[in-house]
Amino acid sequence: MSEDSLVPSPEETILEVDGVEKHFGGITALDGVNLSVGPGITGLIGPNGAGKTTFFNCLTGFYTPEVGSIRFEGTDITGARPPAVAQQGMVRTFQIPRELSEMTVLENLLLAPPDQTGERLSGAWVRGDQFVEDELDVRERALEMADFFELDHLLDEPAGNLSGGQRKLLELARALLTDPEMVLLDEPLAGVNPTLEEKILERIHELEEQGYTFLFVEHDIDVIMEHCERVVVLHRGEVLTSGTPEEVQSDERVIEAYLGEVDV
Amino acid sequence: MAVADFLITLVTFIAIYSLFGIGLNLKFGFTGLIDFGHVAYFMVGAYVTVVLTLPADAPTYGGIGGFDLPGLFAALGPLGSLFGWVLGVLGGMIAAALVSLAVGVPTLRLREDYLAITALGIATILNTVVKDEDWLFNGPYGISGVHKPLVDVFPISLGSFTVNMAVFGLLSVAIFGYVAYWLVNRFRDAGRTGRILMVASVGLVSVWYFVMPVVDGGGTVELTKNVLWLFDPTAGPNGGLDYDRFVLLLSLGFLAGGYHWVERTINSPYGRVLRAIREDEDVPQALGKETFQYKMQALMFGSALAGAAGALWAVNIGFVSPDQFASTITFFAFTAVIIGGTANNKGVILGTAVFWAIRNGTRFIDVPSQYSIQLAAARLILIGVILMVILYYRPEGLLGEQDYDIDLPTSLRGGSDDV
Ligand SMILES: Nc1ncnc2c1ncn2[C@@H]1O[C@H](COP(=O)(O)OP(=O)(O)OP(=O)(O)O)[C@@H](O)[C@H]1O
Ligand SMILES: [Mg+2]
Repeated sequence: MSEDSLVPSPEETILEVDGVEKHFGGITALDGVNLSVGPGITGLIGPNGAGKTTFFNCLTGFYTPEVGSIRFEGTDITGARPPAVAQQGMVRTFQIPRELSEMTVLENLLLAPPDQTGERLSGAWVRGDQFVEDELDVRERALEMADFFELDHLLDEPAGNLSGGQRKLLELARALLTDPEMVLLDEPLAGVNPTLEEKILERIHELEEQGYTFLFVEHDIDVIMEHCERVVVLHRGEVLTSGTPEEVQSDERVIEAYLGEVDV
Repeated sequence: MAVADFLITLVTFIAIYSLFGIGLNLKFGFTGLIDFGHVAYFMVGAYVTVVLTLPADAPTYGGIGGFDLPGLFAALGPLGSLFGWVLGVLGGMIAAALVSLAVGVPTLRLREDYLAITALGIATILNTVVKDEDWLFNGPYGISGVHKPLVDVFPISLGSFTVNMAVFGLLSVAIFGYVAYWLVNRFRDAGRTGRILMVASVGLVSVWYFVMPVVDGGGTVELTKNVLWLFDPTAGPNGGLDYDRFVLLLSLGFLAGGYHWVERTINSPYGRVLRAIREDEDVPQALGKETFQYKMQALMFGSALAGAAGALWAVNIGFVSPDQFASTITFFAFTAVIIGGTANNKGVILGTAVFWAIRNGTRFIDVPSQYSIQLAAARLILIGVILMVILYYRPEGLLGEQDYDIDLPTSLRGGSDDV
């Protein structure tokens, strides 16, 4: 990978993954992933079953890697529990949306913001001024987010009634409401209509300028080419190559990886 | 026994088991924890409260204690000893919560079906320990002479027979009035099936309560007793409010307290997290919520409420023994919660009322005594059939899941009024 001129310098590195392995019985899902991610939007591509989602699960504590280490903003988070990882500022979306179907869209959103006074038992029982202030604040942010993602007319609808694309949007909106520093997006645009897709990508760029970091799984190569500064290719649980979108797209091994998949 | 007395016993029962069910609903309905060992906390609450309030030299008792908390404050008069009893109840609730903490640490990480089975096992073990270890709480002999708060004050008499009858009678009628008012309001809100069900059940109960006594030859005396139910003419020289009626009011008071406490808890951001855990624990985890802590707190809180119900149970029966706390009690509560509406506190009360009315109310059906065993079996069959019909046609229970609303001062709401 020495050809990747975009590897962040040690000071710039936000996420550093070193030799992460994950097996499921006989299947090797991750086979020693090494990767440094710096600020901006990094694309993560690879054929189906390459291990992208498994990688996200390892990063966010849903799986514990058997070998290897993960450092996020200088802290070792290998094997940390999911809430701890999220509290550190790394939040993920699920590839298959996990809406809380019996709760309303609004409640799904209200759940996300961190450190709400009323979220603690004492806060819920006492209900001082801080409780009210926090709840109003959280509501305002949730409404804003719902507005942006065009979910504002569905606020009181049970989330289970949303369409597939709307669930994707809710998933993304909820993740962004946690005040993250780094967002892991697992195919956030699959099934979203083109106009809204543009809008979401615009929003992601806005957030990027504010200093957010994105790791972005996407199968649409045009989106990756246009919106990512750097692309990492995962293949059979290993980083095959990384670099600028142009570099990666013209890499023989990448083409082989995708085509090989078709041939088999 | 007059119908009024039976009704008082029944409603006391329903109040106590509703409190127990509300504790279960917090675990199961709102948080999704299937605790098949809920009765264990009922037992712990009952025993610990009884032992904390039992006199030190209680005859026929050879276990730990008693610690006579009411006696400690007896110098302050009846209210002092009531305070001692309340402390005892608090102790029972805390003990129940602590036992559930010990159970929760290893089991809450398990998948939910494993939690259910493990909890059932632990409850059975705890029950066996209490039964087999005489030195602990007197083993199979149980504890009699349970402290009854304020029992010396009763029956309360306000003066002459006429005054008593007038005051307590008026109170009784006022309560009937309130219930009627409440029922009419519910009737207005109800749908068609709801209305039919309400008319049928209210009608039946009214006929049974107000008409049957007259027809049966009890005449106006029985009817008067039923209408002025708070007034017991045989209590003391001038009649008055007897202890059973006090226990009923005490239980209703505790139920109201537990109900509002749980309502406050779930109608909040905290409750939002609980329900998120119920639906898909990965989601709140991914959003940074420490779900294990929430589950533990819900388990402890629900167990504490079961403990309070246990304390009331002991006062109501006046005697505790291990065989009162069999696992069937847990399953009765699950049945009641599911009938009334999982994740609906009003539904729990309704479900508990339906369940116990069927179980205990059917004893008024006149059958020749040789069929009484069949009647007992028929009761359970009837409850089973009702449960199946409800699960088939209304899987969400009679009332379904409740609505949630966080009270915010309207003046501050600003633009979010439409939410
Ligand atoms: N929980 C699991 N149990 C067993 N095998 C798993 C599990 N999760 C993933 N795998 C296997 O690990 C490999 C990688 O799967 P993963 O979901 O990470 O792929 P992906 O790159 O996200 O694919 P896609 O683009 O289709 O989403 C696959 O072979 C999959 O079958
Ligand atoms: Mg995937």
